[in-house]
Amino acid sequence: MEHRVAITGIGLISPLGDSSNALHHALCSGRTGIHPVGPQVVNGNQCHLAARLVDFQPEKYLAGRPLRPLDRSSQLASAACGLALESSGWNSESRAANDLAVMVGTMFAGMHNIGDFDRTAMASGPASVSPMAFANTVINAAAGQTAIWHNMRGVNSTVAAGSISGISAVGHATDLIRHRGAMAVLAGGVDEFSVESFCGFGRAGLLCTNHVSEELPIPFDQRRNGFALGEGAGFLALEEFTYAIERGARILAEVRGYATAFDHSQGRDPNLAVQTLVRTMHTALSRSKMSVDDIDFVSASANGSVARDSYELSALAAVFGERASALPVTAIKGGIGEALAASGPAQVAVAIETLRTGELPGVIGLQKLPPEWQRAGIAPDARTIKARSALINGLGLDGNCCSLVIAVAE
Amino acid sequence: MPSGLPKNGHPRQSAPDETVVTGVGLVTSIGTGKEIFWQNLLAGRCGIGPVEAFSTEHFPVHHGAEIKDFDANDYVNRLPAGKIGRASELAIAAAHLALADAHLSFTEADLEQAGVVVGTTSGEPGVIERFDDLYIEGRINQLSSDFIDNYPCNALAAHVASELGLGGEVLTIPTACAAGNYAIAHASDLLQMRRARIMLAGGADSFSRITYTGFARLGAISTDLCRPFDRNRKGMIPGEGAAMLVLERRADAVARGARIYAVIAGYGLSCDAYHMTSAHPQGAGAARAMEMALRSSETLPEEVDYISAHGTGTPTNDRLETIAIKRVFKDYAYRVPISSIKSMLGHAMGAASAIEAIACVLAITYGYIPATIHLETQDPECDLDFIANCSREHKVNIAMNNAYAFGGNNSSVIFRRYEA
Repeated sequence: MEHRVAITGIGLISPLGDSSNALHHALCSGRTGIHPVGPQVVNGNQCHLAARLVDFQPEKYLAGRPLRPLDRSSQLASAACGLALESSGWNSESRAANDLAVMVGTMFAGMHNIGDFDRTAMASGPASVSPMAFANTVINAAAGQTAIWHNMRGVNSTVAAGSISGISAVGHATDLIRHRGAMAVLAGGVDEFSVESFCGFGRAGLLCTNHVSEELPIPFDQRRNGFALGEGAGFLALEEFTYAIERGARILAEVRGYATAFDHSQGRDPNLAVQTLVRTMHTALSRSKMSVDDIDFVSASANGSVARDSYELSALAAVFGERASALPVTAIKGGIGEALAASGPAQVAVAIETLRTGELPGVIGLQKLPPEWQRAGIAPDARTIKARSALINGLGLDGNCCSLVIAVAE
Repeated sequence: MPSGLPKNGHPRQSAPDETVVTGVGLVTSIGTGKEIFWQNLLAGRCGIGPVEAFSTEHFPVHHGAEIKDFDANDYVNRLPAGKIGRASELAIAAAHLALADAHLSFTEADLEQAGVVVGTTSGEPGVIERFDDLYIEGRINQLSSDFIDNYPCNALAAHVASELGLGGEVLTIPTACAAGNYAIAHASDLLQMRRARIMLAGGADSFSRITYTGFARLGAISTDLCRPFDRNRKGMIPGEGAAMLVLERRADAVARGARIYAVIAGYGLSCDAYHMTSAHPQGAGAARAMEMALRSSETLPEEVDYISAHGTGTPTNDRLETIAIKRVFKDYAYRVPISSIKSMLGHAMGAASAIEAIACVLAITYGYIPATIHLETQDPECDLDFIANCSREHKVNIAMNNAYAFGGNNSSVIFRRYEA
């Protein structure tokens, strides 16, 4: 028996606002969350831009108990989960009565904490580190802390698939409801900006380095040379469709299908990279019982990467054929940066706003697509489109690909 | 108990879709590969000794369970051995051994239908330890350009898949010390949903100064050996290892003439939502996971022939696990054979429950149960049959594998004898 899956709530902490409405509005207005990070952080890095949460105040979202045991990732996840619970109407009574499951995607978890814990122990001896700090070095700390904060006693899992971890968590949660009898799952992702990841991505040559012009990283644009690192948290309240209807929940959209696949060349073989994403999109469509003609727009994974943005364009051309040139495509990482595990859930949240309003955000700052990719469907400004269904892509750095199809619930 | 459960002793009909185990591979502190591991496990060999990976002079404790005879070059072919992290190397070795044990060779078409799920506690702590050394020395500009490829824990599954050329679902599940069980449960689900034809599932963790420091600061590490359920137990012993199982649907395994070790009959996962590092004082979450596993596998408590305990050797874990087993198994709790192989292997973190899963599968296959060694004076509060010191010949039709973790995560997986 296959159950339908409803999205009944969204919780979002992003550099452009803490609601899907605010984020969608900012993106449609062409605002960006990417800014210079200051010389202290740059510290020899070729990149000096990032999309950071400069004014995140955890106490605004998490009241009544001490926040000290929660590290930043746990605070971001707990805050976003709280917003998703509120938005879906899963109050404390219904949480006490039901075993709500939590699925957290993350790439780095609290890497800064882990490094800090180790550096303190190395510099001042093992006796100098706090046992409580160790609890936050486990990669599933955010999931555990969130479950404790909101009293969620169902399956508590953390999934790691690199930068697509968040959308992967949403996909797995969908499977739990569709095939494994789960009633409700809170699923999404969290990643924080850290000196460690900023330094690592910089050393790998993956970050944007437009220092002279101060121009932003622009997905798909001919001038792109890397992405800006972002941070945030995004969670969706997913539940079994009939159950959601029966309790009178507001249904924001339906998850129609999901697929994931792996490019074992890990991006080194362009043909295999493109083929793998093509296979992922085809599988997601067939599991959604939809054809390419049923998709109204695409939320691309593109973030300004030299290689991966072009892989995605090639894959879209292969999947959508003649429709590809006019197919509306947006890429929101020009606004929120590459927020890693938080990216996918943010893409879903913005897509839901597009389904609701018909407004598709533009690719901020886009001037020129590469000549081989002249596309009417990719534009710098927001526009109104027919929007009943969306394909959302995630193309990871490690070879993992995923695609999720959502649609207006019938 | 829900109605409609099979009667005690009544053989079940095997469904063609059920998940079966057709290969096992592992690298542990008591040996690499199924044969040596099983031989040493039944002999009660202890893999615990003074830590060699780093100096413990500033620690109050000095023991660990390290793998001392591992050479990555023996196993890692496509990827650069020595450049990727140690946990990835251990996972790759276990995966190669498991595939060889399953007599599996892939065609191109199979590869797109084959995936891997790796559970882990710490991912690649050795990689960030190198980062930290550079940071402390002010040489961070010399950080290797492959840090991002090697540190984040998704690298474990990605490296196994890249080494083997897999194109299906590739996922790392970092649910701390229950991660191996989570990975096996997830991979089994993927097969049940027909998302794959072949899945590798298991866990990997490497011995690390970060993990050692953390458990030492929690006061959890034993000053001598690991003595689960003993009145004089002093704690756990950090270890390392990797274990991978080859999983397929029964009909596929039968069609290719594979040796079937056991069936994955069901599992239960739950969260205490109580405390990050302490378990629920009445073992509520652990009991719930065991009950869910019994229910999902349509197993009666009295049908369980062996429980592989989480059994870390800490005073609290062993007492609470005993309480939880009594809650679920009632009077039968005193009769079911239970052991903790962490007494020999220490705690291999995310790999532990995957290694223990293999012990369950081999117990079913060979009709022997490994012992809890160093169990000299049984704790009156841990008054069950913990198979003290000597392995036991015992027919095992159904085995339950328990694992618990930071974050209040509880897991139980049930393995059942395969009936053709």
